[in-house]
Amino acid sequence: MSLNSILEIGKSGLNIYQLATEVTSQNIANVNTPGYSRQQVVLETAPTTTANGFPLGTGVRISAIERYYDGLLQQQLVTAQSTQGNDTTKSNVLQQIEPTFNEVANDGLGAAISNFFGSWQDLSLNAAGSTERQTVLSRAQILVDNFHSVSTTLTNTIATQDSALVPLTSDISEKLKNIAQLNGQIKITQLVSGNANELKDQRDQLLRDLSTKVGISYKEQSDGTVDVNLAGDPTKALVTGDQYATMYTDNAGGTTKNDIYLTAVGNPPPANTPATDAKITTTVGGTNNSLGELGATLALRGTNVVGISNGIIGGYLAKVNELANQIVTQVNNNHNDVTAQTLIPPHRAYDINGAAGGDFFVGTGVTAATISLNITDANKIAASSSATAPADGSNALVIAGIQNASIPFATGSATLNSYYDSLVSKVGLDVQSSKNTVAQDNAFTQQLTTLQQSNSGVSLDEELTNMVKYQRSYQASAKLITTATDMMDTVLGLIQ
Amino acid sequence: MRITQNMTANNSIYNLQQGRAKLDKLQELAASQTNINRPSDDPIGASLLLSIGDQLKAGDQYASNITKATTFLNVTGTALQGMADTVASAKKLVGGITSGSSDQTVLDNIAAQLTIFKKTLVDMGNTQVGNQYVFGGGNGQKPFDAATAAYSGDETALNVQIGQSATQQMNIPGNQVLTGTGVTTPYGTTNILQTLDDLITAVKTNNVSGIQAGANTLEAGADQITKAQTEVASRQTRLDNTATMNTNNKNTLETIAGNVQNVDYAKLAVELTNQQTAFQASLSATAKVTQMSLLDYLG
Repeated sequence: MSLNSILEIGKSGLNIYQLATEVTSQNIANVNTPGYSRQQVVLETAPTTTANGFPLGTGVRISAIERYYDGLLQQQLVTAQSTQGNDTTKSNVLQQIEPTFNEVANDGLGAAISNFFGSWQDLSLNAAGSTERQTVLSRAQILVDNFHSVSTTLTNTIATQDSALVPLTSDISEKLKNIAQLNGQIKITQLVSGNANELKDQRDQLLRDLSTKVGISYKEQSDGTVDVNLAGDPTKALVTGDQYATMYTDNAGGTTKNDIYLTAVGNPPPANTPATDAKITTTVGGTNNSLGELGATLALRGTNVVGISNGIIGGYLAKVNELANQIVTQVNNNHNDVTAQTLIPPHRAYDINGAAGGDFFVGTGVTAATISLNITDANKIAASSSATAPADGSNALVIAGIQNASIPFATGSATLNSYYDSLVSKVGLDVQSSKNTVAQDNAFTQQLTTLQQSNSGVSLDEELTNMVKYQRSYQASAKLITTATDMMDTVLGLIQ
Repeated sequence: MRITQNMTANNSIYNLQQGRAKLDKLQELAASQTNINRPSDDPIGASLLLSIGDQLKAGDQYASNITKATTFLNVTGTALQGMADTVASAKKLVGGITSGSSDQTVLDNIAAQLTIFKKTLVDMGNTQVGNQYVFGGGNGQKPFDAATAAYSGDETALNVQIGQSATQQMNIPGNQVLTGTGVTTPYGTTNILQTLDDLITAVKTNNVSGIQAGANTLEAGADQITKAQTEVASRQTRLDNTATMNTNNKNTLETIAGNVQNVDYAKLAVELTNQQTAFQASLSATAKVTQMSLLDYLG
């Protein structure tokens, strides 16, 4: 072994500790970059040579620049964030609806129903009184307005959810495209034995972002790329290598709401053609639409695109509609003069002029949106059960009695008020459980993020320590070179 | 486990958020003074509150019905008392001349007074509460014609709901009291108005047997009014009892609702103080921990 090899070893030290400091500086610079995994140089001894019969190392070299990365944690995070995105969206929207049903703090539909039937009670006390008659009409109008308001709020929320699908799907498509691009770059980088750590970090971050929007499953291939499929339907490929699909909304076929379509993968993917592309409205949200913001939006809006929504909000709306229809049916049945009817008990109903009573509300089969008054003249209110007794209030009493009557709803018999109360309670339960789920999801994600950070996060203290360590090593390597130079000088001095 | 500054920062933010959320909730309770501010705060409690609220609203409506019916019956009672007084006066007046009188002036005078009494009875029979005739029934007509004294009301019962399944008739048809000519005659069949007419004729013509018969019939008529008064009194008693029950019921329901809904201030104050201390501690800890760095010690 010659003095030259000491110089070589010193030089390799200088090079390598400079590189190590560069990696440290990269770590420090990216301490707050989302999704960044810390990197570290992995050092190994350079091959040994035999000098003077002894094997000796030839210095240090870098075997790899590793990133600290836990694939299992990444998988768990992707799944957890899918659930979190789903529950958060659901909770936010439900909390927006809750005030409509907040009968605890404000008077709403429930109070309007009570007041409406209360006004019939008042009328029964003074059937000929014009004030009482007018009050029944105003209370009925307030009831109708309340139904309209609730219906409008719910219908608007459904429409909002429907239109939210458009930016959501284009955001997803954009992310798919980015993932495919990164896949391509990673593949090329690895082909030339380059370091694709940062690219992989970016892709992992994109996968996590994507999973909050839509449920996905993914698999890393040997060439470093990942294939992404739809969790709700694993046969549907979203990204394959550098090819990607487009997810888009369309109301092809004249449906009132948007369907979600997926093109085949390609680079670039084929143009959107709803006629041949896969319709994934019912599968994209996963089981019970439990995955991602897209799933939550679909769960709220419902997956059917024609007719009444089958989603959560549609369920509320259906209940409010049934309530409106029952009130209309019951009040009309008793407000009509019925002498021979098998379904309704025959009873007499006459207005103040002795004319037979007709419909109080318009029509049958009404919804909360279409409920309206049939009577505009207070004299036409049929409070009496005798054509010759306009001051008789016995029919008003019968109609007031509807409030306490058990009425056959689809979910079982209940009084009007208790049916509405149970709806309020249901909305409350849904909101409460969604809030609780979000709190749990947040805690779970927080825990996973902590674990992931523990593994991949940059610790400034650690990097600073490494920096000092590498600096000292660099100094030592430099000293080695100085020493070797001195030794060289000494040797050269021998010759003089 | 390896801990990085970012983990500390994230966890601090998370925990501070949790603390803030708890403080915010307690602050809302303190400000609103109610435990349940929206259905999701306690769906089961909210359901109970709503159910109690419905019952309270119904109770208020019954209370209002009872008040109106009581007013109606009080006016009826006053009118009946006036009728009883009038009939008693007529009886007294006639009692003085049961054996007739030779003085035509006296007879004419008495006949004139009896005419006024009859008019008084008709007026009382037309007593109104607001626009309702208390003795009128269901057809809304003025019950007694001032000239002919014929009854033009009907006997429809005006029922009022005073409880969930309890109704009470509030009117007494005038013909059952003053003419005794109704389809049903629960108080008697004496036609008081006709009797007065007969008496006036008998007095004018000094018909002693007619006067005596009239005086006897008036006696029966007074009985008839008394029976109607008893009926009104018993209805008032029922309304009073129902009102009391209604009030008791309301108090009970309000107590139950209060137990669910009213904030326990002592408990809230303790919780608020606890939470405040905890939050201040976490703020202080966060401030101290996040400042620590190796950089402070590297030259």
